[in-house]
Amino acid sequence: MTGVISGGGQWAYVAAAYGLTALLTGVVLWHSWRAMAKAEKRSDALRRDRT
Amino acid sequence: MHAYANPTRFLAIARPLTPWLLGLGIALLLVGAWAGLALVPGDYKQGETARILYVHVPSAWLGMGGWTALAVAGLVQLVWRHPLAGIAARAIAVPGMVFTALCLATGSIWGKPTWGTWWEWDGRMTSMLVLLFLYAGFVALTMGDEGQRQGGTLPRGAAVYALVGAVNIPIINRSVVWWNSLHQGPSITLRGSSIDGALLWPLGLTLLGFSLLFGAIVLMRMRRIIADNRVAARLRRMADEES
Repeated sequence: MTGVISGGGQWAYVAAAYGLTALLTGVVLWHSWRAMAKAEKRSDALRRDRT
Repeated sequence: MHAYANPTRFLAIARPLTPWLLGLGIALLLVGAWAGLALVPGDYKQGETARILYVHVPSAWLGMGGWTALAVAGLVQLVWRHPLAGIAARAIAVPGMVFTALCLATGSIWGKPTWGTWWEWDGRMTSMLVLLFLYAGFVALTMGDEGQRQGGTLPRGAAVYALVGAVNIPIINRSVVWWNSLHQGPSITLRGSSIDGALLWPLGLTLLGFSLLFGAIVLMRMRRIIADNRVAARLRRMADEES
């Protein structure tokens, strides 16, 4: 017995699940990295200006 | 633990640790996903859709684990006033919310070909949806508040909210036992796994890979908050010196 949708049609659901996971994980990772790099660059620049 | 309350000491560890967690996490994820998609056979009942397991279960683990960590951070801030606890809680909230949303979305995508429906108001799905709303509430409570501008500490109400919200975690965990519905029962328990070993091993790789990646994301977000705090403190000092 297989699920309600069987055969090759199942791969579309698998692709959708993996694609969405990759997309959202990539977005949160990229956003976190970019925000961190920008904030640390600003902090370092301000410290250099003070010394 | 208190030794690392100092952000400078924390950064001395977090800076070299971030790329290691990131690199190792991505490598494990790629190997685990490749194994889950190409190496292991389809399930004898569910066919190919069972491969969604390798992204769905880690998302659920991180959604629930994220809130548990958030509640512990809230407790640490309330009891010990640990300056990094509030920063950690703020850093966990958004990635925790994203992985909870991913758990619901991948579960829904898995449900359609398996159960014939995208959604069912059963105990597991409903309690997971409540967790998503709890995360959204926490983000709304803490985004742009006074504490964020003054060192990243949590408002007392947000810390209590994080603790009270933790009541939902055991409810999610036991929901498939208490309410017998469409969602399958627990597959992996302390006594063993009902999933065959041939299908199980890539799950270990993706679980560890996603966990390391989550750790890297949280460290990045904590470093960002600490850097923002330092900029704000320096600007305040400069303004004081000029006046």
